[in-house]
Amino acid sequence: MTTERVRELNLDYEQKYGFADPEAFLHKSPKGLSHETVEMISRFKAEPDWMREFRHRALDTFLAKPLPHWGNQELLGAIDFADIHYYVRSTEESVNDWDDVPENIKRTFTRLGIPAAEQKFLAGVTAQYDSEVVYHSIRKDLEAMGVVFTDMDSGLAKHADVVRRYWASVIPPDDNKFAALNSAVWSGGSFIYVPRGVKVEIPLQAYFRINTQNMGQFERTLIIADEGASVHYIEGCTAPVYTTNSLHAAVVELIALPGARIRYTTIQNWSNNVYNLVTKRAHAHRDAVVEWVDGNLGSKLTMKYPAIYLLGERAHGEVLSIAYAGTGQHQDAGAKMIHAAPNTSSRIISKSISKDAGRAGYRGMIKVQRDCPGCRTSVECDALLIGSAARTDTYPTMEIAENDVRVEHEARVSKLGDEQLFYLQSRGLSADQARLMIVNGFIEPFVRELPMEYAVEMNRLIELEMEGSVG
Amino acid sequence: MAKPMSATAPAVSPADPRPAVPTSAGITEFSRHRGEGAAALQQRLHAAAALARAELPDRVRHLWRYTDPVRLLPRRLLAPAPQDVVLDAPAVGPVVLVAPGQTPRLSAAATACGITVAPLFADADAAEFYGQAVPATAGYFEALNGAAWNLGLSVRIPRGRHLAEPLRVLIPAPAGGDLLPRLLIVVEESASLTVVEEHYGGGAGGLVLGATEILAGADAEVRHALVQRWADGQVGHLIQRAHLARDARFVGATVSLGGDLAKLDLGAVLAGEGARSEIVGVTLPRQRQHLDHHTLHRHTAGRTWSNIDFKAAVSDRARSAYTGLIRIEKNAPGSEAYQENRNLLLGEQARADTIPELEILTDEVSCSHGATVAPVDPEQIHYLRSRGLPPEAALYLIVRGFVESVLAQTPDGVREELDALITARLAGLRRAE
Repeated sequence: MTTERVRELNLDYEQKYGFADPEAFLHKSPKGLSHETVEMISRFKAEPDWMREFRHRALDTFLAKPLPHWGNQELLGAIDFADIHYYVRSTEESVNDWDDVPENIKRTFTRLGIPAAEQKFLAGVTAQYDSEVVYHSIRKDLEAMGVVFTDMDSGLAKHADVVRRYWASVIPPDDNKFAALNSAVWSGGSFIYVPRGVKVEIPLQAYFRINTQNMGQFERTLIIADEGASVHYIEGCTAPVYTTNSLHAAVVELIALPGARIRYTTIQNWSNNVYNLVTKRAHAHRDAVVEWVDGNLGSKLTMKYPAIYLLGERAHGEVLSIAYAGTGQHQDAGAKMIHAAPNTSSRIISKSISKDAGRAGYRGMIKVQRDCPGCRTSVECDALLIGSAARTDTYPTMEIAENDVRVEHEARVSKLGDEQLFYLQSRGLSADQARLMIVNGFIEPFVRELPMEYAVEMNRLIELEMEGSVG
Repeated sequence: MAKPMSATAPAVSPADPRPAVPTSAGITEFSRHRGEGAAALQQRLHAAAALARAELPDRVRHLWRYTDPVRLLPRRLLAPAPQDVVLDAPAVGPVVLVAPGQTPRLSAAATACGITVAPLFADADAAEFYGQAVPATAGYFEALNGAAWNLGLSVRIPRGRHLAEPLRVLIPAPAGGDLLPRLLIVVEESASLTVVEEHYGGGAGGLVLGATEILAGADAEVRHALVQRWADGQVGHLIQRAHLARDARFVGATVSLGGDLAKLDLGAVLAGEGARSEIVGVTLPRQRQHLDHHTLHRHTAGRTWSNIDFKAAVSDRARSAYTGLIRIEKNAPGSEAYQENRNLLLGEQARADTIPELEILTDEVSCSHGATVAPVDPEQIHYLRSRGLPPEAALYLIVRGFVESVLAQTPDGVREELDALITARLAGLRRAE
């Protein structure tokens, strides 16, 4: 079968992202989780009492809560929470001049192309290395307009009122076991506040890197777009290829106040030994728009269902996601839309590629609450299978308690078809070119939504993986 | 350090709502009293052992997300089937009539084609097929029925024989008692049969927990119509599974209208190459009814084909829940599977939940599903009214059109009757709106 010759995506991961710096840390918590660890992290960060208490309460919640008993039980059950470093600090403090970043860390991010990307097209950058943000910068003109873009720890220190007001208001610690874990041991992440009416035209970016073995990264991101404001935030993630597993359990909260617009783009390309168990949720108030653009290429197991609570009239939510699973990967991705106000609308487009023994899927929830007339929602799932051992799952849930609605869900599953290949080859394309064209066409709606530089990178990545697949 | 354990002691659980698992002695006595032989007793004991191990269904699983299994539990097991049933003579000529305490009645045509209809396990061959489609190990309710069924019927049509008339199985629910019916329908190689299984009667305090096994041999053709028109107040759970051998063809048509709370679990396993299955259903919950339906198509052999068309039109404050799973196993290349679930919300307080699931474990497939939830299109009403129809007639026409595709797939010989049932219910809707 010709289609079996398509190469693994990320075949060159080891060369591109898989390098590891020697672990050079100022402070590394011993393995395992206890109130002592939490106390240590909080004291280390000189946090206010309310945050320290929040952490301790969250730890109790984490310890009391069972693991989800849905999803990939085998992989979830293999997580050994006692074998993880919950806090690893590699630098003294976060800096805003690239030259001040320690040499070893700078080398990492230079290899990943961060400074170059910043110069080219970003309005601001945050780089997180293990538990702490090591570098951040923001364009002066945005700062002058009152835009705040900083790491979460600095945000807590310098904008305590705003942080305290919105903190955990979208994702309380008892939401799920991993949100509780993050709430207890969070470190780093981004804090963004965009003042009323300010439109940040150029994307802000964060780059997350796990370097230490058996490390847990628990960044916490909070983005608030005030009335009529708009912002686009992009994050990328990679890690070295170690033989032991790492855990990434982020919490991301977005608040789009009336008329605001937030787009949050993720290109998740963790190495295949990272558990990526992330809670992402947004509140969209009246006339606000929230969009999650979510690409999952890496990790061993991803469980991520970006959610939007449409809380005000005419709010609109969109999730556009793509997942790629090769052998040894399970992408349990999806989306949730909660229509809690009249005349709200939402759209979910989910595309997945399962190759060889890879497993990718869509797990979703659409809820329309009572007395919310005029809601519209549509879900489209498309799964592409390459190889007879590939697996795809679709688990959509629709709960509709209002009669004046339009709810549509569609899913299709197909293999990378011999007929399509034959057709394209009969038009003079090589087998490689034909496969690439089919896969490119499949992911095109996703790539179209990326900033140009990311789109180019994404296409190049796919092209690399597809070329030379016939000997 | 060990993995963190729960810091709090497990909450004290309220008294286990499950009925006590019957003892071997109790089952032996029950079986003997019913005059059953060794094969039946052995199956009951096997099911009781499975029941002792089975947990109540997990509400986290989508199959049970919308219906509390505790509401479907009998008070005690091993009660004989109540005899106080009312026989509701069917509208068109019955071929066989079954109810607790009734003797099956066959038409001349049925007798001539060699069909056998007998109490379950009266026919010694039953053991050969029993439990293949609904094994006691499949889950709590499967085990419950397997251990304690109190009304059993086996139907078997020999190889290559055909019965044109539908075979009619009437299962009236007793008022206020527990009925656990069990049907075994065997259609041998290249034979064909249509069975209408009709549940009706009952009322407040009544509970039916049924299981129907359908085994279709190679190249056999089976049409099964399941009619659920229990009285108000009735509660019930019905499991229907067909097991299809090579090139077998199955059509399962469900019309589900009655009861306060009903959960119907309908499905087919496409186990032989070239098997085809079509499941269609319509449910019309009204007032405060809670009607929950599940469909399963499991493809375990290659070149198999399946389709599902399930429609719900929900009035008043009623609730419809639909969950469906299509699973294509690794060793089932060349399979095609399709699924549609459409929901029409007629009442402002009506509620529809839908979870159409796919699990596809191989790439050589063609598979799609769709689900929609929407009210009646006001433009359609407007169009019909502008042609001079009163509003209720317009609404009737639209809902009738909505369920038409399902009716079209129901077996010949029962379509008119199902149509009449639906029409009668829609007439009620007309008044209610």
